[in-house]
Formats: sequence, C-alpha cells, structure tokens
Amino acid sequence: MAYTDYLNRDKLMLTVATTGGVHGKDANPNLPEQPEEIAEQVRECEKLGAAIVHVHGRSETGENNSARLQEVNDAIRERCDDIIIQNTTGGQAVLEERIKGIRTDPLPEMASLDMGPFNRDRHIITEHNRHNIDLLAEEMQSKGIKPELEVFNNGHLNEVYRLIETGLLDEPYYINIIFGGGTFSIPSPKNVLNLVQNLPDNSKFNLLATGPHQLPLTTMGMILGGHVRVGMEDNLYFRRGEPVKSNAQLVERAANIASNLDRELATPDEAREILGMK
Amino acid sequence: MTCPYLAYLREGDNKSFDHERPFCGATESFVSPMQADLCNDRFDFHHTTHCSIYQEYERNTELETPIDRMVSPIDE
Repeated sequence: MAYTDYLNRDKLMLTVATTGGVHGKDANPNLPEQPEEIAEQVRECEKLGAAIVHVHGRSETGENNSARLQEVNDAIRERCDDIIIQNTTGGQAVLEERIKGIRTDPLPEMASLDMGPFNRDRHIITEHNRHNIDLLAEEMQSKGIKPELEVFNNGHLNEVYRLIETGLLDEPYYINIIFGGGTFSIPSPKNVLNLVQNLPDNSKFNLLATGPHQLPLTTMGMILGGHVRVGMEDNLYFRRGEPVKSNAQLVERAANIASNLDRELATPDEAREILGMK
Repeated sequence: MTCPYLAYLREGDNKSFDHERPFCGATESFVSPMQADLCNDRFDFHHTTHCSIYQEYERNTELETPIDRMVSPIDE
C-alpha cells in the first residue's frame, strides 16, 4: 500500500467503531451502548458508506461484557443490509472472555487481534501475550475469520512479521496502525509514513487515530492508499469543544473527505474482495 | 472484594441515566468501563494495587469509613 494505490483510485474501506470499551455515556451521552441503539447507529453508518463495523458488547450498566456480543451481532444483522461484522477480541479481560468474539453464532466475518500489551492508566494490559495471540490467530484461521491485526505501536509490527512466519495468517494481511496517547504510536505524519513504509508485502492497512488526531491522520491514510476507521470508540468530539452527536456524523465527514479526494468507498462486498474473504 | 467507594447509581455528578452505572464515591463521578474492572476487582485487578484514585483517597481521607464519605452526599 502506498501513494500509488491512491493514484490508482483503489476503493477505500471505511470502518466504524461505534462503542469500544473505553468510554461510557458519562463521557458522551450519544455513545451507543445497548444492542438496539448500537444497531440503529450502525445502520445509519452503513447507509453513509461504512463497509465494516467494529463491535464491542456492554452490560446494561455500560460495562464491558463480551457475552453481549451475540445480542449486538443479532441486532446489527436484523437492521443492516450487508455490513461486515468485526468483533473485538481485545480489551483487558482474560482470554476466556475475549475469545467470545470469535464464538458468536453465526461467526463474525472479521475480528480484531491485538498484537501485544499496552498500558492503561497505572496498569498494563498483559493478556495479549504471544501464547494468547497465537491461540486466537489459530482459531480465526481455522474458522475463516479475517483478523484485523491491531498494531498499537511500532514494536507490534514486529509481531505481525512473527505471526506471518508462523503461517497463522492468510494474505492479504490486514493491519490496523494505531496512533494516540499512552503506549500507542506517537501521532504524527512522520510516524504514519514510517509505519506504512515498514508494512509487510501483500498487506493492506487501516489507519486509526484517537481524539483530535482522527481527522488529520485518517485523511493522510486515505492519501497513502490506506483504509480508515472512525467512530466514537476513538473520538468523542467532532471538533474542539463540540461533542459528537452520533457515529454517523463522523462517518459522513470521512465519506465526504474520501469523495473530495476522489476515492470511492468500497461496499461490504467489495471489501470482502479486497481482503480476500470471498 | 470490590472497592468500598464503588456504587451503582442512576444519578450523580449532575448526570442521569436510564440504568445504574458504576460511580466512584471518592471522586463523586461515574467511572469508565475499564476503570470499573478495577473497582470490581475483575480478572487479575485489585483496586488497592491498581487504582490510583483509591490509593490517593485512602492516603488523604480522614473519615472513619469509606462508606460514610460515599453515602452522605447522595442521600441528602
């Protein structure tokens, strides 16, 4: 993936991450937490051009609960036409909880796969060790679930290469490069270029940036021929001091930027083709 | 054992919700989903070890019991 892919006008896969596991309604009351409200917002995003939805489950109290992924998946399928469901296997829960993301019925077409640990507040999320990464990758491969490889920082790209060597990944490798605070990659254009230049052959990349970095760096990702993720999981503000009204607001802005850059959005079916899922 | 400052409330900190949510009596604010794992001692977390709010509050508070601090402003 490179600038030439942009010049070739490769279609752009737009992912929406509506909810996540970090923020709650106390941070922004428009953040959807319950299955029906998540599905309603996903439907609006699908209509605006989102091809993939990244999904988390929450309890009625707004806390992370992977057991509710099934309900969220069911609600999305009921309301939406064809959007690709990508369940999370991340977060700070133990493996037995996280693996529920690839055990819904029917199975999700995609799932996230964290490439290593990272810091959160004053603790470290340690469950993303090589043992667990390989177990998840193996189950995804055996079930035909396409993993999105979560590269939270530069070092995690080494883990992608390691995983490729194990034979647990199928081409094209779909790599989500992540920029933000804490132990994420430092959000800067130079670092985006650096990571993109170091991607393995036969890979596609998605760009995720948190908070105020979402708008500029996802735009940069589009110019570099990559794909982008937006949504309230990563960003609660539309602009400085103005809380996001809904996920659709962020998706609409990203879709407009892609259009202005003359990059057509991929439909879910075209996304399946790009990712070798058909 | 969960954190003694944890409560589940529908209203607090000038906010109200349809369902009860985890609320920290030390900061008198609702807590994030990931923070709530620490409050509830889920997985390998323990609030005494991992929660800086708890640690700081315990160092600073002069109240006899945490529950005194947590209950009074909400019931009034």
